[in-house]
Amino acid sequence: MDATTAPHHIPPEMPQYGETYHVFELMQNMLEQLLIHQPKDPIPFMIKHLQQDNDNVPKIVILGPPASGKTTIVSLWMKKTESFGFLMTQDVVGRSISSRAFKVFYHHEVSEKLSSALLVSLIQERLKEEDCVRRGWILDGIPETREQALMIQTLGITPRHVIVLSAPDTVLIERNLGKRIDPQTREIYHTTFDWPSESEIQNRLIVPGDISEMETARKLLEYHRNIIRILPAYLKILKVINADQPCVDVFYQALTYVQTSHRSNAPFTPRVLLCGPVGSGKSLQAALLAQKYSLVNVHCGQLLKEAVADESKFGELIKPYFQKEMAVPDSIIMKVLSHRLSQQDSIQKGWVLHGFPRDVDQAHMLNSLGFQPNRVFFLNVPLDSVIERLTLRRIDPVTGERYHLMYKPPPTVEIQARLLQNPRDAEEQVRLKTELFYRSCSELEGLYAHAIALNADQDPYTVFEHIESGIVNPLPKKVP
Amino acid sequence: MQAGGSRELEARNYLEKHRIMELVNYLTSTLLFFRPEKPREYLISILERLRIAKVTGVAFPFFMDHSNIVSMFEMMDTSHKGTISFVQYREGLKTLGLLDEDEVLQDDGHVITLEKFRSEVKHSEFPNQTQESIINMHSTLIFKKNLFAVFDYLQ
Repeated sequence: MDATTAPHHIPPEMPQYGETYHVFELMQNMLEQLLIHQPKDPIPFMIKHLQQDNDNVPKIVILGPPASGKTTIVSLWMKKTESFGFLMTQDVVGRSISSRAFKVFYHHEVSEKLSSALLVSLIQERLKEEDCVRRGWILDGIPETREQALMIQTLGITPRHVIVLSAPDTVLIERNLGKRIDPQTREIYHTTFDWPSESEIQNRLIVPGDISEMETARKLLEYHRNIIRILPAYLKILKVINADQPCVDVFYQALTYVQTSHRSNAPFTPRVLLCGPVGSGKSLQAALLAQKYSLVNVHCGQLLKEAVADESKFGELIKPYFQKEMAVPDSIIMKVLSHRLSQQDSIQKGWVLHGFPRDVDQAHMLNSLGFQPNRVFFLNVPLDSVIERLTLRRIDPVTGERYHLMYKPPPTVEIQARLLQNPRDAEEQVRLKTELFYRSCSELEGLYAHAIALNADQDPYTVFEHIESGIVNPLPKKVP
Repeated sequence: MQAGGSRELEARNYLEKHRIMELVNYLTSTLLFFRPEKPREYLISILERLRIAKVTGVAFPFFMDHSNIVSMFEMMDTSHKGTISFVQYREGLKTLGLLDEDEVLQDDGHVITLEKFRSEVKHSEFPNQTQESIINMHSTLIFKKNLFAVFDYLQ
């Protein structure tokens, strides 16, 4: 049918909606669950899944050799998230196994006595309970063997983050010697690192039976044997953290990791906004981005000049302002910009905008036209660097070659003699413009809450890599 | 590791049997088309309606009714001759879900006029279709026109 082959004009609200509400991830999760469980009646299953709304709850697995501090991390987590009042508080999968009415476990000592199948089925039951479904879960030390890992996977229990603690064996053996257990609360303490403050707890502590060097060495051996076969199952969601650091450091690393979401396959057209004072390298970065990702490079000033040169109807309007060297009024800029940004190629390929908006009003106007950027970057450069970068620019009037007295000096003295400087690059001008920027900067930052601030005082390729990672990775979730 | 092959095959069969991909395509398309403030609630409401429709056998409220047969005919008849070829007719019936893949239609040598098309569509089991084929019809016809790219979302 011919109607379907014409270039389709997709209204930009659609991809924007898809991004804001993460429609792709939503559908992907639903499809995953459908395929794992393959219910006979897909529609009621889907309704139930949507109602649960637990796509974003934490699902974490912590693995590590004995004495690496897994349990300590987990208990720190419990305390921390409660104190933060996170909406999704984790529920650690308890401690002892007894009959089904009880909270599950994962403690290494106890689990040795159980067969894998029983263990996994108990876990499955526990994870189906309401609080785990709603708030998320952490599995500490499970799966222990590849067999268990596979069983868990086939049941559809997939963690979203797997943290593996690692430390040299000698450190672990020593650490384990200091392990003490409180028989009443079953909390783990340590003689050096984590000594309880209350004396009555101190008196209660007993030495667990299996912490001799031989025992620990044996357990470590088994651990190493098993872990190497478990890791490949979780390669993409894995992070190895060095456990030979203070407990708090390990914990913070783990926390930041868990809060990042992984890259998804959702379609994404970048609409990038680069903000920064004059001389921060916006045009250069925009050009690099446009080249690498085939985005449309929209430089506001350039656009206006092009309009004048083309002598289009916009150009006629703008010319008088250029001639009088006055700033072009916002309304005209908006018209030119919206004309450019609503063209088919910028909607399809995405765009990089720089040189606009200069203040909050312009930003609001941009939003109201429906051109919301989905990645905003603030390029920070100290004033001295800016002055250095700009005031040393020179141009050779004969060849047209651009030089920089520090970064790209002219090869011969003869050329150097005839170099000219653009009056716009004079120091006072640069200072004026930078000041202008900094005045409106804080308001702009307030408007674009998800903006990423970068240090642009480095070589261009480093900055480019930072920008790239900002675009390609999902936006970090802000901690409430 | 269990044979990836057999599980994968099972999964594919499951998808086909329940026409999950068409359903998911339809849900995504309608979500992006209407852009409700609360996507989950909206999806739940559609699924509820689908569920009820399936149980009671009532036709799921859909965008296309008999008046669209004319527009569909006109889409196919690009040169405004007033007739469509047999091949187009067959494809049109397939899109509407009225023709199984294996069914063979006799080509009686005449071209199909609008009247013939309309009567054929009306006389076949149009109102009693199962939900799956109606969903198939939506997702291929209406949304293909405007939201072609949406399919790429899930491919």
